[in-house]
Amino acid sequence: MEMGFTTTVYVVAIVLFILSLGGLSGQESAKRAVWYGIVGMALAVSVTLLGPGFGLWWLSLILIAAGGLIGYQLASKVGMTQMPELVAGMHALVGLVAVFVGFNTHFELVNIASMDDTAKKMLEGFSALLAKKSNVEINILRVETTLGIWIGAVTFTGSVIAYSKLAGKVTSIATKLPGGHFLNITAAILSLLSVFWYLNAGELLPMIILTTMALFIGYHLIMGIGGADMPVVVSMLNSYSGWAAAAIGFSLGNDLLIVVGALVGSSGAILSYIMCKAMNRSFVRVILGGFGGISGPQMEIEGEQVAIEAEGVASVLNDADSIIIIPGYGMAVAQAQQSVSELVRKLRAQGKNVRFAIHPVAGRLPGHMNVLLAEARVPYDIVMEMDEINDDFPDTDVAIVIGSNDIVNPAAQDDPNSPIAGMPVLECWKAKHVLVSKRGQGTGYSGIENPLFFKENTRMFYGNAKESLDKLLPMID
Amino acid sequence: MKIGALKEITSGEKRVALTPDSATHLQKLGHECLVEKDAGLAAGFSDAQYIAVGVEISTTAEALTKASDVIVKVRPPSAAEVNRLSSSMTLISFFHPDANEALMELAKSKEASVIAMDMVPRISRAQKMDALSSMANIAGYRAVIEAGNNFGRFFTGQMTAAGKVPPAKVLVIGAGVAGLAAIGTSTSLGAITYAFDVRPEVAEQVESMGAEFVFLDFADEQADGASTGGYAAVSSPEFTAAQLAKFREIAPEMDIVITTALIPNREAPELWTSDMVASMKPGSVIVDLAAEKGGNCKLTVMDERIVTDNGVVIIGYTDFPSRMAAQASTMYASNIRHMIADLTPEKDGVIVHDMEDDVIRGATVVNAGEITFPPPPPKIQAIAAKPKEKAPDKTPEEIRADEIAAFKKQTKNQIMLLAFGAALILLVGSYAPPSFMQHFIVFVLSVFVGFQVIWNVSHSLHTPLMAVTNAISSIIILGALLQIGSTSFIVILLAAISLLLAGINIFGGFLVTKRMLTMFQKS
Repeated sequence: MEMGFTTTVYVVAIVLFILSLGGLSGQESAKRAVWYGIVGMALAVSVTLLGPGFGLWWLSLILIAAGGLIGYQLASKVGMTQMPELVAGMHALVGLVAVFVGFNTHFELVNIASMDDTAKKMLEGFSALLAKKSNVEINILRVETTLGIWIGAVTFTGSVIAYSKLAGKVTSIATKLPGGHFLNITAAILSLLSVFWYLNAGELLPMIILTTMALFIGYHLIMGIGGADMPVVVSMLNSYSGWAAAAIGFSLGNDLLIVVGALVGSSGAILSYIMCKAMNRSFVRVILGGFGGISGPQMEIEGEQVAIEAEGVASVLNDADSIIIIPGYGMAVAQAQQSVSELVRKLRAQGKNVRFAIHPVAGRLPGHMNVLLAEARVPYDIVMEMDEINDDFPDTDVAIVIGSNDIVNPAAQDDPNSPIAGMPVLECWKAKHVLVSKRGQGTGYSGIENPLFFKENTRMFYGNAKESLDKLLPMID
Repeated sequence: MKIGALKEITSGEKRVALTPDSATHLQKLGHECLVEKDAGLAAGFSDAQYIAVGVEISTTAEALTKASDVIVKVRPPSAAEVNRLSSSMTLISFFHPDANEALMELAKSKEASVIAMDMVPRISRAQKMDALSSMANIAGYRAVIEAGNNFGRFFTGQMTAAGKVPPAKVLVIGAGVAGLAAIGTSTSLGAITYAFDVRPEVAEQVESMGAEFVFLDFADEQADGASTGGYAAVSSPEFTAAQLAKFREIAPEMDIVITTALIPNREAPELWTSDMVASMKPGSVIVDLAAEKGGNCKLTVMDERIVTDNGVVIIGYTDFPSRMAAQASTMYASNIRHMIADLTPEKDGVIVHDMEDDVIRGATVVNAGEITFPPPPPKIQAIAAKPKEKAPDKTPEEIRADEIAAFKKQTKNQIMLLAFGAALILLVGSYAPPSFMQHFIVFVLSVFVGFQVIWNVSHSLHTPLMAVTNAISSIIILGALLQIGSTSFIVILLAAISLLLAGINIFGGFLVTKRMLTMFQKS
């Protein structure tokens, strides 16, 4: 088929992809949006298969189908609590593909350089495209390729580590090799040197050095970031996988790749920005790992954590008219979303006003809590964002905190010396009663004591969230 | 350890320091409980109820003291009761150590330990054993009930078929624990309630309970209560004058006045003078909760109800908690139980008298034959948070000015960014070949479109967004498709692996997104 036709279809695919992302602005339109994406992808792949300069038809189809089968298996079995791992794992795949495609470009370049003019004229498809390039263009191509490989490699190891951390296969505590960020800087400088070497020599060795350095940076950077910062990390890797695709698009001269890569890249960047803003921390500080900027002694907390049993919780809930539930990562860990949903159903059946308050960084993935609650059949119109619901706490009878900690820490507002000072938090302590379901005493990820637990209107409901709720459920009526 | 509760010997005292309920809690801590015969009868707890939860009954106080390791009671002990103590025994009760030095000496000579419930420091951690607060709470409640009992009208205003009834006006002086309880009771009965306190920081608490705080026209700030352990301090003469003038002004309107003003270790201040009483309407009621310390009204007679010449009833009872013996016993027993729980940190029935603990140290007046009163100041001082410096509210002009400044700053930022971006593109454009620039423009535009589109994505759909971007970033599969037609084996191999991986991603990504989105249900 003609190149012109291919381009036309690409344009259609681009429009469909943009509509697909734009459709996610609302729950109902989103259901349509995903089909736009699927159709766009199908069009893009099939037109490339049919397009000019393509070989090995059958092998490609079989491979895609095999991959599709694996993907289907994964996607239908994965639990909603494992979404962060799945997303991180998929980023790793994109990164790896970018590395492979980049290397392929290099091999093709080497092949072509060894050919004479008559052989070059015999080429078709991708290699023909390369053969036509001038010297300047080849140099630009080399920069683009190295960039694609570099970002792809960082994304790959970074995502593998993120996946392992989220899946609990690697400790989620921030760990760095001795030398810390100095190692990262050295690796980055070495990568840059290899780019120049590669531009001059066009050999495989600098390419391999570059890739190794990038793999190391990806590994070391993400190892140094702790569990609760994972939403930022995953969005960042999401962004990187997009930029890698865009860089590869440049090297292949393919606009569709560039557009989609840019869309995905900016999407991930915005998500990272939103997450950082929700933690009142700069992006750089999150990436460099750890909390910093403690400017003085933290406020002392007085009082005592007062425990409450299921009976007490039940009587408080039975007396309440308005209830706000604040879920956090602890709910996902305990797989308690079904019990929470059941509790909400029972409370709503009594005519109580029950709502959820979701902090942007609750969980390990942007929007993680929403998906978990949706899976447990909690209607999405009672699930509120922080800004929508924060003013309603003073009129609320009971706020229930399930497995969250830093996002409900009043120290963020009261104590200018707190490491999380200035972070927007859910002001649940303004409710008449606060019930906190928590595994035991102790601090959250950030290691910051939470004065909420010591407040007079707070009662601690200790124990595994799911078991506690299951004990509570029969008493609600 | 064996914990024994004595029967109160003071006449008219109906409370008891151990209830069947608190006994079961103490048993869970590994203790055994004993109670003197009929000790709980006046508070409504029969011996049978105690026996039912496994509490042993002792017929006499002597037998009980002999059999117990820890003696609990309500009122300060008599000399005879202290005399029966032996070494290594602990007595827990109200004690008023500053007024009972002889008893302390006696306990010292017996080598016993005494924990005074009235000496529990007023820090947040100790609130659960703060018996003074529990009793004050009951007194405040009961004060309103007694007032209502002596008041010939409704509290709440009513519009009846027979005519209009105005609501009663209640003034509560002193918004401590008792005062706040009185305010709460009075407002819930429907009266219009006013409250006054020398500590202006409690105005917020008063208003949160539905009463109106009576402010004075007095410029000087009072010292806040945090430095004096939450109690009021002595006021300056000018302040007192302003305060009395205000009371004099509102006295004729008030139907019920409840005074709760006490200053630690001093006679109660006179706040409701005889001329104020004289100006009140006949049938009005004054309940003076400070009667024991001389009364906030000098006409008050301790433990009596009197009627003045102009028909105002003044109640000077001091036994309000005892008048609600069941409630008071339940609360006091529960304070005692929390104290014992803190004394039994391992929950194994072994009492550890930890003098390093602020609360236990503060409450202990005699420790194993040694007088430890007065205690050193507790390590944690304040009970009330310092009043925060509130930023003054901005005027509309200032808000407007801020908005304009923010808008200008935003515009400036945007223009800077645009200029920077344009310069960058120009720079690239002047060096790069046209074939590159073509793609570059596409790239820049796509980033721009991406930013515009993604900002609109609902926060709740961020996870599906990540999954779907994952799926579409596998568009990189096109690269592999273009390269697989190569002649080089290694290129074909790498491209083939890429196809497989990208295939996983495309199908997995879209499918999981679809799964997630179908789960979002409207109610």
